[in-house]
Amino acid sequence: MLTLTDLRKAYGATVAVDGLSLRVEPGEILGLLGPNGAGKSTTVHLALGLLAPDAGSVAVDGLGPPTDPAVRRHLGLAPQSLALYAELTGEENLRFFGKVYGLGGAALRGRVDWALDFAGLTERRADRVGTYSGGMQRRLNLAAALLHQPKLVLLDEPTAGVDPQSRNAIIERILELKRGGLTVVYTTHYMEEAERLCDRVAIVDHGKVLALDTVLNLKRTHGAVPVLVATVGGEVRRIPTPDPVGALTRLVAEATVEDFHVERADLEQVFLKLTGRRLRDE
Amino acid sequence: MSDPTAPSALGPVLALAGKDLRLLVRNRSALFFSLGWPVLIALFFGLIFGGGGERGKIQVGGVDEDGSPASAALLRRLSATEGVQVTPLGRAEAEARVRAGKLTAAVMVPKGYAEAETKLFYGAPRKLELAVDPARSAEAAMLEGILTGAAMQSMQDLFSGGGASRKLVDTALADLVKTPEGKERASTERFLGELGTFLDTQPKATPAAAGTNALGGAGGADGWKPLEIEKRALRADRAGPASAFDVTFPQGMIWGVIGCSLGFALSLVQERTRGTLTRLRAAPLSGHHVLAGKALACFTAIAVVEALLFAVGRVGFGVRPSSWWLAGAAALSVATCFVGIMMLVAVLGKTEQSASGLGWAIMMPLTMLGGGMVPLFAMPSWMQAVGTVSPVKWSILALEGAIWRGFTPAQLAVPCAVLLAVGAVGFLLGAWRYRAQAG
Repeated sequence: MLTLTDLRKAYGATVAVDGLSLRVEPGEILGLLGPNGAGKSTTVHLALGLLAPDAGSVAVDGLGPPTDPAVRRHLGLAPQSLALYAELTGEENLRFFGKVYGLGGAALRGRVDWALDFAGLTERRADRVGTYSGGMQRRLNLAAALLHQPKLVLLDEPTAGVDPQSRNAIIERILELKRGGLTVVYTTHYMEEAERLCDRVAIVDHGKVLALDTVLNLKRTHGAVPVLVATVGGEVRRIPTPDPVGALTRLVAEATVEDFHVERADLEQVFLKLTGRRLRDE
Repeated sequence: MSDPTAPSALGPVLALAGKDLRLLVRNRSALFFSLGWPVLIALFFGLIFGGGGERGKIQVGGVDEDGSPASAALLRRLSATEGVQVTPLGRAEAEARVRAGKLTAAVMVPKGYAEAETKLFYGAPRKLELAVDPARSAEAAMLEGILTGAAMQSMQDLFSGGGASRKLVDTALADLVKTPEGKERASTERFLGELGTFLDTQPKATPAAAGTNALGGAGGADGWKPLEIEKRALRADRAGPASAFDVTFPQGMIWGVIGCSLGFALSLVQERTRGTLTRLRAAPLSGHHVLAGKALACFTAIAVVEALLFAVGRVGFGVRPSSWWLAGAAALSVATCFVGIMMLVAVLGKTEQSASGLGWAIMMPLTMLGGGMVPLFAMPSWMQAVGTVSPVKWSILALEGAIWRGFTPAQLAVPCAVLLAVGAVGFLLGAWRYRAQAG
């Protein structure tokens, strides 16, 4: 669906994207996971043709480069900043962005109604966006990216700055889009979101893709060995093993296992192993 | 890659412009500084510098060359008419004031007016001269109607006093005997005879009824005219503004135009800093669409400000362009110029604060040098020379040229050409910088 090949972008001496390559398959959610400043947003802007790469290329499969307005009609973007007009109502914002994408008449009205419903803002459609909560604004920001029914949507930190309840609502909506077959590129620095949403995750740091695979494979490849934690005769045993099920079977044969669980690597550990740094510097 | 479903180039531009105008209307402070503030500036300085007298009234010069009670009564009636202010003057002075645009018209009551009134039904009709400013044709037409009404009123008065009207008929009959016999004389004699009989038999008739009847009967006579108004246009020869408002309204307009221009410059910066520009750039639009939308919105807002100021000035304060076509050309040139300035200011500032600060830092000295605060003609010559670099000066010159300087189209073309050039250069430079900044 989208192919980025050996992209490079520098701002003066600062290299934001450094030889980045990846391919987004149709219908998948590809996560770009990395800390702030890793080059995720720059990659999104390069992918949409908003920035010209110093080197490398971007292609939307079967359509052409994203700088072509005809190609852009099939792409959607929910920017990291709330790209909305606070002085306009939710409906006015959507109508405006719809017109910008060439929608009009009944088609525009229908899509605006859909988008308001998707964002859960039908009741607040006539209120100015400035009066919305942060979560409402984030949902509208997302809905505006989907108004013109793109084939590929790029969501740049779509849950930034919202409360856990709103974040959950946004994730549920993105999963709904995935079920509808939409291709999504999702940037985040929240590993929980990446684990929950993404079919594949690219670990990005200093403008490079350090690893790209399914969450499970990333953990297998780059995470620590799983640890079988079992309570036997009141004693807690920690058994590092690549095969927790086999280890548990053997343990059950030897003694009475009162309790057990498996500690697996998470993406935080994967990132730590790949970069030597934590994902989020708290 | 061609796309048959691609929207027209104009659609997104109109959507962008509509959105910006809607945002302007929603922003009360921006709206006030674009629309309300300029009017206040124009009024404040206009009143300080002398205002324009009774601007709600049609200003008329009254020239009484007959010096008779009848001519004095006519001018008194005209003066008593609501909406008309009559200033007694000599003919030369009255005509000079009309030429200078200080009076809408001059009404001359020539010698023989009173005598003609005594020969109401025969001989030459009563005559009045009406010298008008050709730029005020609507008011002149209204004045013509008022004059006719005032003259008719004098007839009504004549017939309301029974003795006077009987005497008028007798005198008329006596004079008629001296004229050659003919069909017209016979019919006039018959009419006057019957009128005399009517007056004799209706001594207690109400004045209004008597007047109405007399006029009604006379009005039916072929070719008879109770009053002849000779109207002529005087060539405008304005050496200065008709009132202080002629000077302060262009100044007020400029303040509104600057407010609009800087407001839209700021809005373009806000699009960048608040992220909406990113969304617009991700849409199937070119940078030209975005800039054209912003320019169209700015141009429209400026044109509305100018139209409003012209309307308020015209209706309330007697500000009358010598030509509305020239005024329109000047206003559109000013709007074009300040759209270009908007583009330049928008790309100079990276943040809203820096754009706002830079905008006013640039525009304030240009406004001061260009006559936005002190009228151009009141500035020392060296400052007028320095002010040539200011687009504000050319803007005010163009507006004043159309309002009171009496510019011909060729004369107005000079400031308009400068304004259009500044606008074009500003827009091109701004667009170039915008594309460079967009990366």
